[in-house]
Order: sequence, then structure tokens, then C-alpha cells
Amino acid sequence: MRSVLTVSKAVFFDSIRRRILLAVLVFAGVMVALIPSLPDYRLGVEKAVFGEIALAVTFVASLVVTLGLSVTRVPSEVERRTVYAVLARPVARWQYLVGTWLGTFAMVGVLVGAFAAVDVAVGAAVYGTLLWKLMIGALGIWLEMGVVAAFGIAVSTVVSPVTATVAEAAFLFVGHSKATLVGEEGALALKAFYPSLDAFNVVAPVTHGNGVPPLYLASMVVVFVGFVGVLLVIGAALFGGRDL
Amino acid sequence: MSQTAAGDVAIRIEGARKVYRSFLGKEKEAVRDVSITVARGTIHGVLGPNGAGKTTTLKMLLGLVRPSAGRFEIMGADARVLSSRRHVGFLPEQPYFPVHLTAMQAMRFYGALTGVPADTLDEEAATLLARVGLADAARVELRKFSRGMLQRLGIAQALLGSPSVVVLDEPASGLDPIGQRDVRNLMLDLRANGTTVLLSSHQLSEVEAVCDRVTIINRGVVAAEDHIDRLLNVEGKTSVRARGIEALPDAVAAIADDVAFSGSVWAFSVPDESVRAVVDAIDDAGGVVLAVQPKRESLEDYFARLLASASEEVA
Repeated sequence: MRSVLTVSKAVFFDSIRRRILLAVLVFAGVMVALIPSLPDYRLGVEKAVFGEIALAVTFVASLVVTLGLSVTRVPSEVERRTVYAVLARPVARWQYLVGTWLGTFAMVGVLVGAFAAVDVAVGAAVYGTLLWKLMIGALGIWLEMGVVAAFGIAVSTVVSPVTATVAEAAFLFVGHSKATLVGEEGALALKAFYPSLDAFNVVAPVTHGNGVPPLYLASMVVVFVGFVGVLLVIGAALFGGRDL
Repeated sequence: MSQTAAGDVAIRIEGARKVYRSFLGKEKEAVRDVSITVARGTIHGVLGPNGAGKTTTLKMLLGLVRPSAGRFEIMGADARVLSSRRHVGFLPEQPYFPVHLTAMQAMRFYGALTGVPADTLDEEAATLLARVGLADAARVELRKFSRGMLQRLGIAQALLGSPSVVVLDEPASGLDPIGQRDVRNLMLDLRANGTTVLLSSHQLSEVEAVCDRVTIINRGVVAAEDHIDRLLNVEGKTSVRARGIEALPDAVAAIADDVAFSGSVWAFSVPDESVRAVVDAIDDAGGVVLAVQPKRESLEDYFARLLASASEEVA
């Protein structure tokens, strides 16, 4: 466990130093601050529309960062050979991968937390109420980014960052296209195995509805653990078979 | 082949083989059949031209490359078992480290991965940095390190946790002559303290100066393996150095080989059985014998000859 935490800590602090993160954070903050000035707000749903757009900005900004961190980390460590000094020690490859994922997930968590704080602060400043439900939406985004990071890290153990980015985009598309691809009625047998990421999309209930019940939150965490577990096992198997 | 007893073996590599397969299934044999036995507390050199399979063999030993075949042991334990690597320190060729870290932070990172207890880690890291001459650079970011400083740091991180076995891949690479001397002394210190060193190097003078045994790998197989003296000493010949004479006495000139004269010193080799007569002849001619020792080929010459004969066999 010490090895996993040591690697994750190193990944976290290495990631947080990257200037691109600050740039994304500032850009997203400015975008959120500008949402209330959009011209086509409908009377009575301003807060809901604000929340929806704020979470969309948070999702996109988090996705950019998650993609950038997850698909480049392992290939660059292998390319620069910094991984040799790690894996020649009593550190298993799965420990290295899990540590890398954990550090990336923590980093994205800080980022999503910061975005959500900006969302709530801007909402409070403009509408005079704390839109705390946005935090639940942000939690869903964070968990989804954890899955996306696990996919990116797993795939990038055997392909280049560019290929991994394309694969990740495809994964996101497939993950959010269950209704389109397998339909509500056709292909029923496939639906049970469909890798849907829709479980993490709680934007509608937190912006237009009454929020998300605790049981749903708990089940969302179970889905997250399942997805991440499977992806990291696949990643460890791929990376374990690779010559460095 | 070494006759080291099982309990005295630090590293055992038997029948190592590595075949790389391309995406289309084309095979390339990087290591065909390499066996190396390294006795505890010795410095063992691994030599070979570029592409001979040295680094691949070391990587197989350390789990960085999956062997196609072979047995790998470190301190009696299967090298595939993770815990066996607790005994090993590794300096990769041209080591790279995360450049945003300071030297001390890097040492803490690698120390934690090695399993050095947290309460002694800082002290051990500082001691090792001082040992490799980086005490003043402990708080400097690695992006500001020169090539030689990174190499020194690479050596320091390999020594974290006081490993029983240290694998060094080109440790003198990028170092100035003082640095190279320091590395040689460090290896000798390690051996004196009972640590086993497996050294892969292109610097033949370095290998010749410190190694007890050497294994020469060529085209993926072991071309020669023995004690350095047995590899280099020329059977039946003795080297003589003398001064104070303008020319070699006729009796000496008739039997001397490899005659060289430089800086008023004569150097030549003669058959072992003629040494007494040669010394007497020089003495009679008014010269002074400076040295009489078994004739020893330079490792460079031996290496070149070995590779040339291997090429001829292939041709």
C-alpha cells in the first residue's frame, strides 16, 4: 500500500505543477462567471439553466484535464525511462498503475472541487442562494472522470497518447449513447453488459429536480468502483505483459 | 563457467533468452543463450558491443523485460518474485528522473518505494547524496542538474536501502575523469563492504580496474567468461621493463616480442623460462630492470580479438 500511495502522491504533485491546469481553471472560472450574462435566459428557470451550463463547463474542463493527464503519464514515463527506477524496485506494475490512477483521480478531484466552488460562489453572488446541489452534480462528474482516467491509463499502457485519446473519445461516445446504440427495445441481451456512463449524469435532477437520493449516490459509487476496478485490472494485465 | 557454491551466489542467470515479436509476427532474437553466475561480494563485469544483449539481460533479471526463457535468481530467490528486488539497487543507463523534484525529494520518493523506514529516510538520503558528491545540490531541482550530476544521483538512488546487489548499467557514462575515478572507488568500497556489483560497461579500463570476473556477450550468447587475470594473462610469457641501455643485448633481442621503447624505457616480453637469462643480460649490459611480471593483454585487445574471431566464424 505504501508503494501505491507513494506513486499517487508523486503523480498528484507532478500534475498540480502543470500550468495547463491553472489555465483550464481560470478559463472555466471566467466561463462560469459569464453564464448569467447569456441573453436567452427564460424567466423562472435562470438558476436551473445556470446550473446546467455551469456543470457542462465543469464537465468539459475536467474532461480536458483528465484526458491530458491520463493518456500521457505512462507513455511519457516509459519513453523517458523514469519508470525503470520505479519498477526495478519492489513495486509491482499493478501498484504503479493504481498509484498513477489514484494520483490522477485526486488531482481531478481537486480541480472539480474548485470548479464546483466557483459555480456555487457565482450562483450565490448572482442569485443570492447557495446552489449546493451543484456539488452533487460535480461529484457525478468527478466519479465519471475517475472512470475516464482509468480507461485512459489502461489503454495508454500499450498505445501512444494520440491513439489512447481517440480510444477515450470513443469510450465516452459509447458510454453516453446507450439509448442510441442498443435502443430501448432492441438488443435487450446486450443492454445488461452495456458500459454506460449515464449513471454518473445527474445534471437534470440536481438542476431541474429535487436532487439525488442517497441510495442512488451509493449505487453510483458502486458502479464507479466496478468500472474502475475492471479497467485497472485490464490495464495491469496489458502493462504486465509489456517489455520496457 | 563459474564453480561458485549455491550459497555464495548473489546472482544466477541460466539460459536467458529473449525473442521480440513484431506486430506482424516477425521474430528478432535479442538474447539467445546467456548464463551468468555472480559470486557474493564480487564485482562482475558484463561486456559486449552495442546490441549484444547486455542491457536486455539485465532488464530480464530486474523484471523490466519478460524473458522468453531462462532462470533468474537474486540472493537465492526467484527474481520474478517482487520481494527479491528488496535486495537490489539499479542504475539504468542514462538515468532520467522527474525534473521538477529536488535531489532530496527524488531520494525520498525512491527510498519510500524501496521500503526504507520513514524515520531514517532523510538521514540515509542525505548520507548517500554526500557520498556521491551531491550534498550541496540536495535542494536543487533536477532540471538544473548536469548530465554528470544526474548520473551521480542515479548511483545514490541505487544504493538506497543498503542493497546486497547493485546492478550498474554504464555508471561512468557522462562523468568527467574525477567522477569516473569516484565511481570506481565507490564500487571498490561496496565490494569491501560485502556488496555484490554487476557492472555493464563500455569502458574497458574501468572493467579491467575493478572487476573480479567478466562475462563477454556477443550476438546474444556468452563469448567468454572467466576471472579477469585468467582472461588477460598470456600463458608462458613474461613482460619485462628496463632502462639504462641504448639497445637490447643481442641475446635478449633474439627472443623478445612486442618490443617498445619510450621515454628511455624498454618494454618487451620473453618466454617464462628465459626470464633469468634476460635479467642477467640486461644487468651485464649496465641496464636496470624496472619490472618483471606475467604478460597481460589489455582488455581492449582481448575484446577486439574475441569479437574479430567471432566475426570470422560467422563469415
